[in-house]
Amino acid sequence: MAGQISDNPEQEKQAEEMSHRWLELAVPLLSFGGALLAFIILVTNIPLDFRISIFGCVLASWVLAYLAWIRPRKDIVALSTPLYSFIFIAIPTDVFSSVVLEMLYAASLTILLVRLKYRFGTTASTAFRLKELAAPLKTYVVRTSVSCKGISPERGHSAAVIFVRFAEGNYGEAARESGTAAGQLEDTGTGTCLTRAFKIVREHAALLDKSLPLPQTFLTFPPEDADLLAKPVSGSPEKDHEFYTTLDNALLLLFSAAWNNSEKDRTHLLACEAFAQKLLSSA
Amino acid sequence: MKIGNVEVKVSIVAIAVFVIFTIFLIVASLSSPEVRSQLIWLVPALFMLLVIPTALNYMSRSQYANIAPVYEAEAKTVRIKLINESMVGKPVRIEGVVERVYYQWMNRPQYLIADRSGSISVKMFTSPDEDVKVNDIVEVYGQVIHRYMVTGDPVINCVLIRKIKKS
Repeated sequence: MAGQISDNPEQEKQAEEMSHRWLELAVPLLSFGGALLAFIILVTNIPLDFRISIFGCVLASWVLAYLAWIRPRKDIVALSTPLYSFIFIAIPTDVFSSVVLEMLYAASLTILLVRLKYRFGTTASTAFRLKELAAPLKTYVVRTSVSCKGISPERGHSAAVIFVRFAEGNYGEAARESGTAAGQLEDTGTGTCLTRAFKIVREHAALLDKSLPLPQTFLTFPPEDADLLAKPVSGSPEKDHEFYTTLDNALLLLFSAAWNNSEKDRTHLLACEAFAQKLLSSA
Repeated sequence: MKIGNVEVKVSIVAIAVFVIFTIFLIVASLSSPEVRSQLIWLVPALFMLLVIPTALNYMSRSQYANIAPVYEAEAKTVRIKLINESMVGKPVRIEGVVERVYYQWMNRPQYLIADRSGSISVKMFTSPDEDVKVNDIVEVYGQVIHRYMVTGDPVINCVLIRKIKKS
């Protein structure tokens, strides 16, 4: 199965999206179906225990909770619906009350499903399981892949470690590691832009580690590296904007170098993807 | 009200509960002799409605006062944009403008603090030393936590919030 996923990720993604669509459809179908069954039992007097219809709402609640769970932003209301569905089973009631309650409950679940779709975004499982980055980070990593290709897997691993340490707020460690990596890259004479990125991260991490303010002078990328940078460092008159944008660019370049040259670290990089996306999309 | 070095604040909810039950008690004791005979324990019980929230507030505020210096020594100053899920458990210090204030009336204030890089929710589980309002410039010391304990976006569990003057 894992082989099939990596062989054709697009197809797998489509299949997963389709299964999520079916699950979304199952929420109103199961809940209203249960209510309809209770109504049929009520009007036809068929010899069937009406409580069986309650399981439609119970199953629909579990499906809704699953759909809430696989999203990056969790909806606590949708996640707690299975708990409420058990109240249906626990409280004894007559057929007529059951029909009314199930109708109201089914309507509530449908409203919660719509709310989940529009307020809590798309599911995250696909990208995570397929070991894929989401746009716009993916676009940037692909764009810089050619320039990052000549870097050794060891330096790619260093870039991954430094990015993760920085994301975790271990600035002292990130500063030390970037100093070492920059020195080693300088010795080999490869990846000039990446060497500068390591140095920039070292400078910022050292400042953050000691909670120091913005310095008078700081490292920047030369204009010839502009094509490799994620965010333009326009001639902004504000010094702090240039300072912080330079850090974002350096971190994103490390992320790209790590992604393209150290495949074994991709799981760790995926865990920090939200941080990288935030760096890329922020002003 | 000050107990020792700790400024104790009773929430408006606790006062409202006390007032409502006082009214109930007055009405009931005026209309029923049976209630009047029970006043010997009803009146102290009524005052416990004020004493218990006050004691809880004193305990939480004195605990926060004790740990605040630890955070002042250990927290790193970061921009809001750098706070992410991987930093859960880290002590941090941020500076920013208060954009919104929620639940202050419950003594469990929640602030939306913004700097030029972004904004973040700051939750406090006791009343702050200072009365922080919208548009105040503040510094916040606290720990990065998940919004819903084990899941949700990163927020700051605030230990200390105070107004600062920016030159």
